[in-house]
Amino acid sequence: MTDRGTGGGTALDTAPTHGAPGPVPAAGAMAARAVGLRKVFGTTVAVDGIDLDVPAGSVFGMLGPNGSGKTTLIRMLLGLTRPSGGTAELLGRPVPDGLSATLPDVGALVEGPGFHPFLSGRENLRRVAMTEPRLGRSEIAAAVETALERVGLAGAAGRRFRGYSLGMKQRLGLASALLVPRRLVVLDEPTNGLDPSGTREVRRIVGELRAGGATVLLSSHLLAEVEAICTHVAVLQAGSLVVSGELSTLLDAGAGGLEITVDDTGAAVEALRAAGATAFTEAPGTVVADGGPPAPRLLAALVHAGIDVFEVHRRRPHLEELFTRLTEDRNDRDGESA
Amino acid sequence: MTAATIDTTAGDPRPVPTLRLFAAELRWVLRRPRTLIMFGLFALVPILIAIGVVVADGDGDGNGGRGLIGSIGGNGLVLPIAAMTISLTLLLPLAVAVASADAIAGEASHGTLRGLLLSPVGRLRLVGMKAFGVLVVAVVATLVIAVVGVLAGLVVVGGADGQLITLSGTTVGLGEAVGRVGLVALWTVGQLAAVGAVALAVSSFTEHPLVVLASVLGGLITFGVLSTIPALDWLAPYLLTTGWSAGADALRDPLPLDGLGSSSLVALVYLVVGAAVLITRMSRRDA
Repeated sequence: MTDRGTGGGTALDTAPTHGAPGPVPAAGAMAARAVGLRKVFGTTVAVDGIDLDVPAGSVFGMLGPNGSGKTTLIRMLLGLTRPSGGTAELLGRPVPDGLSATLPDVGALVEGPGFHPFLSGRENLRRVAMTEPRLGRSEIAAAVETALERVGLAGAAGRRFRGYSLGMKQRLGLASALLVPRRLVVLDEPTNGLDPSGTREVRRIVGELRAGGATVLLSSHLLAEVEAICTHVAVLQAGSLVVSGELSTLLDAGAGGLEITVDDTGAAVEALRAAGATAFTEAPGTVVADGGPPAPRLLAALVHAGIDVFEVHRRRPHLEELFTRLTEDRNDRDGESA
Repeated sequence: MTAATIDTTAGDPRPVPTLRLFAAELRWVLRRPRTLIMFGLFALVPILIAIGVVVADGDGDGNGGRGLIGSIGGNGLVLPIAAMTISLTLLLPLAVAVASADAIAGEASHGTLRGLLLSPVGRLRLVGMKAFGVLVVAVVATLVIAVVGVLAGLVVVGGADGQLITLSGTTVGLGEAVGRVGLVALWTVGQLAAVGAVALAVSSFTEHPLVVLASVLGGLITFGVLSTIPALDWLAPYLLTTGWSAGADALRDPLPLDGLGSSSLVALVYLVVGAAVLITRMSRRDA
């Protein structure tokens, strides 16, 4: 069970105070889980036996090139597609048997916003709200207006969906996912078609959701976006999970030594090599030390050698580098095995 | 803020009441411009027939020709029954096919079927909701023809002092005449329900609304062709369209019920088979 206790911080439509502790998820609770999930379309293996845990309270980014199986995986987690093998769990209950209990607390924007072109944005949203179990009939009108304002569509709510721009359609899709406070919000490519300010708003909304204690599962191919807002990532490639885990851990694991700014690079390289590290000069005034003893010992060695150290930082790769390395390694391997 | 007061930890949510789903579907069906245009066109059917009959009478032809249409002359209450019978051959099934195509295939092509499944409406209730919407279209379309038919019959065609002269030559009063119109309307809706169930079943297999229209129209035409082949006479009782002339039975006195009854039974079989396929398919469909 993923009961979040009585924290009750689900006032998602009030501005959250960032940094305030949200309700603490029960230890080890999973908002979504895939066990050996597999989907075959004809002869194409779209998802090839994926095990995935989405911890409650996380902002989980799913990365992967087009056609890597992100959307199919999401659709199986939500019970929209029957898996060819394996099982899925949503908010602690099995899919699809538990869906009638869990889906009301799940907001989703999957495969682009789906609405009727002949209805206005407001009327489309109203239709969605009519089928929301968490909304009483008298609450529908207010919930629709709140959601419209939240995504910045209040001004265009009376216009027909037909005339909406791509970004406005995407906003309406977000609004329908946010009609009621959710425990899990699934956003498939949420920033598709959005301008920079729309992208910032998505970032803000994801932050609000997280502060309110909700779990956010999003898929994207915008690595900078994921790096900016996610706590966890999973990388998919050709239907398989390449890696998944906490973003900071993954980035640290890919760390590439220390970058040290010194006055005398030649002496510094010598001192570092003497201390047992691999060292080389990279840019004027900067040396890079890799391997050998831990960072404090290396720095002590430099100071003992009488070298002035101005700045030290660990070379942390950006998600983009990590992603490129992970997916390209795999391509190479696939190429060899083929 | 209303939404904020909902405590999502307050146990399992209760499903949305079925009546609310029906209301949502009704609103959606009736807000669709093409539905309203369709109803408007159906209102024109009895009016056009009425005008045609009056103009033909004006030619001094006297009895306005033979057959169902011919018997309308000076006998306005025949008009609604004739209009329903004529519309049942193609127009009404077309309307039902359009509604069925929009109901599932259309929702799938717009990506809105996904939204309904994610709400979650529940797959079985989704079928119920969609069947209700199609039935509403069938009922309203039939009623439009019946009501406009009665009015146009009395006002434009007139005659027989508000009474109905049956094909058997007897006269029945306005009350019973309207009752017979109601019976034909009910029977027509039953036939359309069968068409709707089959159309919805087709609709559940595709996300192209046109496929549904093509299937229903193709099916009707095929049935029509089959029924003209003498060697296939044995097939006739099983064809849905065979009984579709039974509506005119309501113009006979005493009222023969065997034609209306047997065609309703055939319709029921189509309805059950269509519903079974529809439910089976929708319980597994990807969205």
